[in-house]
Amino acid sequence: MTSAIGTTKQASGVTTPQRPRRAARRLDVNKATMLALIAPSVVLLLLINAYPLVSAANQSLHNGTLISSGSFVGLDNYRSVLTSPQFWQAAEFTLIFTIVGVFGSWAVGLGLALLLQTDIPGRSLLKVLLLLPWVVPIVVSATSINYLVATPSSPVPSLFHALGLGAPLFLANPGWAKVTVCVYKIWVSFPFMMLMASAALSSVPDTVYEAAQMDGAGAVARFRRITLPMIARPTYISWILMTIFCVNDFPTIYLLTGGGPISATTTLVVLAYRTVFQNFLVGPGVAIAFLMTLALVVVSVVLYRQIRKAAFH
Amino acid sequence: MTALHETVAAKPQAAPHAHVARKDPKRWLRFALALIITAVALVPVAVVVLLALRPATGSTSHAFITFENLINVFRTTDTPIWLANSLAVTLGTVVVAVAVAAPAGYVLSRGRSKAVSGYSLLLFVIQSLPVITAVIPLFILFAKLHLVDNLIGLGIIYVGVSMSVAIWMMAAYMDSIPISLEQAAWIDGASLFRGFRSIVLRNSLPGILSTAIFTYLVSWNDYLVAIVFIRTETKFTLPLGVESFFQQNVTDWGDVMAVAIVMMAPPILIFAFLHRYFSVGGIGGALAGT
Repeated sequence: MTSAIGTTKQASGVTTPQRPRRAARRLDVNKATMLALIAPSVVLLLLINAYPLVSAANQSLHNGTLISSGSFVGLDNYRSVLTSPQFWQAAEFTLIFTIVGVFGSWAVGLGLALLLQTDIPGRSLLKVLLLLPWVVPIVVSATSINYLVATPSSPVPSLFHALGLGAPLFLANPGWAKVTVCVYKIWVSFPFMMLMASAALSSVPDTVYEAAQMDGAGAVARFRRITLPMIARPTYISWILMTIFCVNDFPTIYLLTGGGPISATTTLVVLAYRTVFQNFLVGPGVAIAFLMTLALVVVSVVLYRQIRKAAFH
Repeated sequence: MTALHETVAAKPQAAPHAHVARKDPKRWLRFALALIITAVALVPVAVVVLLALRPATGSTSHAFITFENLINVFRTTDTPIWLANSLAVTLGTVVVAVAVAAPAGYVLSRGRSKAVSGYSLLLFVIQSLPVITAVIPLFILFAKLHLVDNLIGLGIIYVGVSMSVAIWMMAAYMDSIPISLEQAAWIDGASLFRGFRSIVLRNSLPGILSTAIFTYLVSWNDYLVAIVFIRTETKFTLPLGVESFFQQNVTDWGDVMAVAIVMMAPPILIFAFLHRYFSVGGIGGALAGT
């Protein structure tokens, strides 16, 4: 597609060949129109996205509060954050939460996409129903999970008890709370992965499979040698997006456990939120958010490179 | 970039091996498996509906299903106010976001200068930044502007948060509208703006709808921005209302789930009727970090 402005130049060249000056003026008018069309979004992005980033960078170097800007402390905030055990504990759980969230939801989503790709009755209805965990607001589903698992007499612990598996404290025991939060995240995210995988799978031509089948390739071999490589690119994209969603996720954890018990399920976002809005330490809180952003950018870039590699294959 | 541009309709695709599968004895086995997984996955959703419609303990009603809890929360709690607040904020956000994103999307779709592609890349970077990083300085700024504990302030942030993905979605849709239509109009003397308004915008309704659904979900589902910026109970949006009501009435599940169903119903209804316009990247973004 050619440039709109360039095209207009040709267009006005056609209509007004004898009046180049008018054509030039028209080009300026078009530039001004383009600017006017994009200006509101630029203003908003400067206010809501660029200004906070610059301001946050500044705050992370000061010891201010929510009402005073404080004095310059250099890299002290980063130093205190990087030497605090809470930070590393939160970083570790963020990593676990993200890895389990990304690959757990991917495995479930891809499995279901493969299952629903085959000819089974009512599969389009099942597909729509399976997207519901994603459509339901987190506040609502977290409340529901609370009802299901929170106390020893809740339905799920009761079921465990009836099956002779004991009655685990899904939210009160640190280990179980981690498991619960991760499983909940997979439940929320698998529909997204299923949609991405379905879209990718439907772009693989049937003839490829038919040829492989004739060559005597089994189902597992077809999946590993054909399906996976052919959907590599969309798969990497879905991993990147899900990594971003998991690292940035606040409500899934905060609404279910509040980061507890004893900060077992505190991720970096939850820690940053608590540092600023519950302990009123703006500088260290912003520093945590910044370090998290940095890690996220690094991971995204590494995965992005994988995409480009996959694109070459 | 591609992922966010792919609008995937949840339409049924032709079965790849339909003729083979008809005789497949494993077909019903797979059906049973899919059915069981779906049933398990829907338990948390079903629980909300069942508890909300179950007669409260001590109720005189013997009906299996009752709207008592729903009527009760509308009469005795702030639920109507929360609902009104949520509707006002989301509606305002959707209108402003589409009004800003549609023209910007047009520039992104038609402009091919370096500045435009740089802007496109910037939007991608911005949308992956954690909302928490922006929320802290904005809280301090908005406190000075008296926009904290203010629904308009909340709406402004929602527009900003959803802006980059919204512009991308609009640009992606407008890419599918052939430029030749505008070229013809330009030759006839139409201005660039006229081409945008009466040709591109007029043919972009599905794209506008997708973008509107996306921004609606961002603002309707958001919890993080709301909990930071809203303080007074009468200004709560539904997520804050559901959460605070749950904390105060932890054992009164019928009423808690009745408030929850008020919050859950609109997205589900929109999904049920408009799922063709749900975009993969868009909805993914709707749930990222809010």
